[in-house]
Amino acid sequence: MATITTTPGKTAADRASELNVLVRKQRSLWQDAWYRLIRNKAAVVGMIVVVLFMLVAITIPFLTQAGLFKDPLLQDTPNQLMEPFWTNSKYKNINYPLGSDQLGRDILSRLLWSTQISMLVGFVPVSIIFLMGVTIGLVAGYYGGWVDNILMRITDVIYAFPDLLFLFIIMATLRNTAIGDIQGGLLLIFVAIAIVNWVGLARLVRGQVLSLKEREFVEAARAIGAPARRIMARHVFPNLLAPVIVSVAFGIPNAMLAEAVLSFYGIGIKPPTPSWGVMINEGFTVFSTTAWPVLMPAMLISIVMLAFTFLGDGLRDALDPRMKL
Amino acid sequence: MLKYTIRRLLLLIPTMFFVAVIVFFLAHAAPGSPFDAKALGDRSLPLATIERLERLYGVNKPVTEQFVLYLSNVARFEFGNSFQSGRAVTDVIGDGFPVSAQLGVQALLVALALALPLGVVSALKQNTMIDYGSLFFATIGTTIPSFVIGIFAIYLFGVTFHVFPFVGWSTPMHWVLPTVILALGPMAFLTRITRASMLEAIRQDYVRTARAKGLREQVVIVTHVMKNAMIPIATIVGPATAGLITGSIIIEGLFSIPGIGRLFLQSILRRDYPLIMATYLLYALLISLANLTVDLVYGMLDPRIKMAK
Repeated sequence: MATITTTPGKTAADRASELNVLVRKQRSLWQDAWYRLIRNKAAVVGMIVVVLFMLVAITIPFLTQAGLFKDPLLQDTPNQLMEPFWTNSKYKNINYPLGSDQLGRDILSRLLWSTQISMLVGFVPVSIIFLMGVTIGLVAGYYGGWVDNILMRITDVIYAFPDLLFLFIIMATLRNTAIGDIQGGLLLIFVAIAIVNWVGLARLVRGQVLSLKEREFVEAARAIGAPARRIMARHVFPNLLAPVIVSVAFGIPNAMLAEAVLSFYGIGIKPPTPSWGVMINEGFTVFSTTAWPVLMPAMLISIVMLAFTFLGDGLRDALDPRMKL
Repeated sequence: MLKYTIRRLLLLIPTMFFVAVIVFFLAHAAPGSPFDAKALGDRSLPLATIERLERLYGVNKPVTEQFVLYLSNVARFEFGNSFQSGRAVTDVIGDGFPVSAQLGVQALLVALALALPLGVVSALKQNTMIDYGSLFFATIGTTIPSFVIGIFAIYLFGVTFHVFPFVGWSTPMHWVLPTVILALGPMAFLTRITRASMLEAIRQDYVRTARAKGLREQVVIVTHVMKNAMIPIATIVGPATAGLITGSIIIEGLFSIPGIGRLFLQSILRRDYPLIMATYLLYALLISLANLTVDLVYGMLDPRIKMAK
């Protein structure tokens, strides 16, 4: 840090204001966005909840090993269908704070473990989508040509399918193959969600590139002879990042939800691995006896979805104040 | 305009062809036979019967040959027979379609009937309790997935208070829960869009002009603000239709409604190829037509938009 010197021979007030200008830290656009984000209360709450669930997802294997929570697969038939501790039911057991399911498995532990699956399903495919979508979108938008043509034709076809229908057919047919057995079907879900959703992001990026490359700063970069690769990496990419981040932030909960729906219909994660959809699916078999095995994961889904929406809305407002819905 | 419409309709042919290619080859890529125990549920058939059935339905031939055969049949509007029931696919879908269509139309009407007034009022009374209330509702409705809300609704209105039945589609009382829950998502989304586009229109210069020349507030709102605010709203009816279709699959599964959505789920789980193909083609056609309609309506509402490309 350079030492700050003021011009000698001036009044104290002048020197102070001069100092003030010099001392104030410069803020980048990203820092500005960050300050806007943390001033948004709902977004901060959303962010805290998301971080909390990420921590749970990472630490739950260790917490279980340390004996803090039960094994999510451990069956305890005498203690099946226990109700949560706050109910007046006589079928409750303090060892099962949120109750137990039809096989006597601890619902609390299963919920926490299902968070891990959901976070993986949320973040892994979205990373693949990000890489594919940005690369293909950049190339298609900047160079046009055959890449662009193929992208647009693929988009036409994919847009005739609602996402979920495409996911259904991929999952339903490939889940009984070798790839469908890896990690209880988790890998197939990653791939399927990525295949179905990369097109939307690629199109978004392409549109951004098309408008950005007509702007003066890109023209200026081209005029001084910057190669296309440098223009894309240093001038176009940073400027299209804001809408991409927003789209990704909303893509994560959508992927999580897709997993829940697929597993609910028995074509997602394979039981006994606990996931939201699996738990709801299995819970429905005893729905007339007790609703808690279904209600618990349903409530968890609601909380996580709300958290991601608050965070996503906050990010959108923070990154681009003009983009308002 | 006519030229554009014809062009778009012709573009449907390659789109539908690729949808058919993707679904056909993906469906046939699954290992095993559609007549083995995994596909049929609990029933397992003797090997000889499976082979006879495979010959009967031609599923023992190479996949490309089957596909060509299927296309030539479809060109003659023959969609084959369902593996499960043996009935013609067109009949099976004919049974389910009215139910799904009724569910979808009811839900769309409920969504429009509630979302438009809610959005308009909340824009006119911006930053009041009404506005915050409807924004809160819109956030909940767009965020919490319909199948989760459906579960809560079944628990609350079906199991706890016994207000509405929640299995099947037999009486109008059975219609209430599925319709309202399917409507919630599009309704919340529409409310947000209506509010946003009303707010946008209210701040336009022509609205100030209209007020300045002394028009009554009602006239300003109805003929100047609302008329222009409707344009963006019309455009989301297309995505909303797609949303209703996917939504209806989930809702029909949840409430055991005998519509196409449930047929679709069954056909996928049972590997009933003719039914899988027919339901996918039907859905793709519906969505493409909805998108086309929206583009046309958009062009009519807003003369600034050129039907180029």
